[in-house]
Amino acid sequence: MKNPSKIIIIDDNPDFRFTMEIFLKRNGFETLTAEDGQNGMDMIEKERPDLILLDVMMESIYSGFDVCKSVQSNPDIKDIPIIGISGMGAELGVSPDKKGDDDYFRVDEFFEKPVDKEKLLARIKELLVEGLVRKGKAVRIHDRVYIKK
Amino acid sequence: MDYTGQQITSSRSGLGEEKPTDGLMIPANNSKAIDGLGFRNIIDLLPCYLSIQDRSMHILFANQNFKDDFGEGIGKLCHKVYKGSPERCEFCPVQKTFKDRKVHISEETVQLSTGEVADMIVYSSPILNASGNVAAVIEMSTNITKVKEMQKELKILGQSIAILSHDIKNILEGLHGGAYVVDEGIKDGDMELAAKGLDIVKRNITEISSMAQNILYSSKKRDLKYREVSPNEMVRDLVDLFQEKANAMDIQLKHETNHAPPLVSLDPMSIRRMLENFIWNALDACKKDKEKDFHAVVVRADLHDKFHFKFEVEDNGVGMDEETKASIFDEFYSTKGGHGTGLGLLIVDKIVKEHGGKVEVLTTPGRGTTFRTIFRIN
Repeated sequence: MKNPSKIIIIDDNPDFRFTMEIFLKRNGFETLTAEDGQNGMDMIEKERPDLILLDVMMESIYSGFDVCKSVQSNPDIKDIPIIGISGMGAELGVSPDKKGDDDYFRVDEFFEKPVDKEKLLARIKELLVEGLVRKGKAVRIHDRVYIKK
Repeated sequence: MDYTGQQITSSRSGLGEEKPTDGLMIPANNSKAIDGLGFRNIIDLLPCYLSIQDRSMHILFANQNFKDDFGEGIGKLCHKVYKGSPERCEFCPVQKTFKDRKVHISEETVQLSTGEVADMIVYSSPILNASGNVAAVIEMSTNITKVKEMQKELKILGQSIAILSHDIKNILEGLHGGAYVVDEGIKDGDMELAAKGLDIVKRNITEISSMAQNILYSSKKRDLKYREVSPNEMVRDLVDLFQEKANAMDIQLKHETNHAPPLVSLDPMSIRRMLENFIWNALDACKKDKEKDFHAVVVRADLHDKFHFKFEVEDNGVGMDEETKASIFDEFYSTKGGHGTGLGLLIVDKIVKEHGGKVEVLTTPGRGTTFRTIFRIN
């Protein structure tokens, strides 16, 4: 059996971490959890997860925005796809900017709470493949992705 | 209104030089009611402040309304009279009118002779002399403090809707998540897991209940219902109410009360709301603290001095830095990320002000926080 993909859940809300952990495990993923940005960052560097599920508006000093910036500026981990999650949405001016303006945060996908679990699952699967392509472990030819042996 | 374009000049010599200006006009069909009233009287009766300033910002003329609220200003510098300031105002419309002969508008904050601070909208209009130069400037101001207050309230309303929607979404996430865990537990016959899910659901129900109470409190204008109450009893009741929650969070919650407490007159419902908000915050501050092994929240009621009594809620949680401390009573300020509207302390502030009391915040980052409210006995 192939190794399951490893997903890290970084959120200061223990209920959300617990729920997501159960959801992801039951869908065949391995999970890691961290309750703040600093711990999350340490774990990412040590464990090299395949995907980051990140609450961008955590109350800790080292926020989700900081995690985004740290991951994306570190060549060793910058290819890991990030899914941003927040209860704050467009009505409070929180929205990801995929163009990468410095004033905004850049994520591969953004979900507002409450998260639609089915949509999240579909996007996780797509982004895991995208992560492989970025790392050079797979190639995209037209619309198809070929995983290197 | 029907204006004919009949123009008048200022009656003060040396100002208008009898040359028409485009500043002031009166209706042609004066009704009998104002016959014989005279322009001077009309100007005095105008429901706004009217003054005329020269180039050096000295007041040459002021209407009665002006004198009533700002004192006899003639011969004095306008910024001194309006604001008690030795400096000219930054966006002074009068100076702009002197420069370009045009009408200017600005918003200024001034101080009435009673000491009351008021927001004004100020219009300035030129009085031209025979050669077309600005000889003086008429300044007309209206008190818009009420309008400003309404603007502020509207802004708060807008923000509150946005923040509430954010909070509701977070609670929905909790309810969805909890229900999902319950489902999965039942599906697998894993009752332990289902019970964990149910706990999540219950927690979020508690959160939305508290939120609903805060919203109700902040949205209703209610008259305070003063009653003689024992602060000791209130504190004991509340500690009992929160005891189970504190136990579940592994935080010691206790009360300390005076042995011979006075009966005090206050609105028990709002004071209760205030203390509930403090206790919520204190428990939350302890939960956030990862440094200490033991956490405690103490709720006190005691005499402050001969004429005042106090409530205190002390925690040994995370504490606050100066910046946070300075912002906590701002509208919708919250450090709780997904877990706080910022409504709680705003309501506290409102309750304390309504009771004519005051709030003190003693806090050290990493050590904890004490919220102290002080009220007059009767």
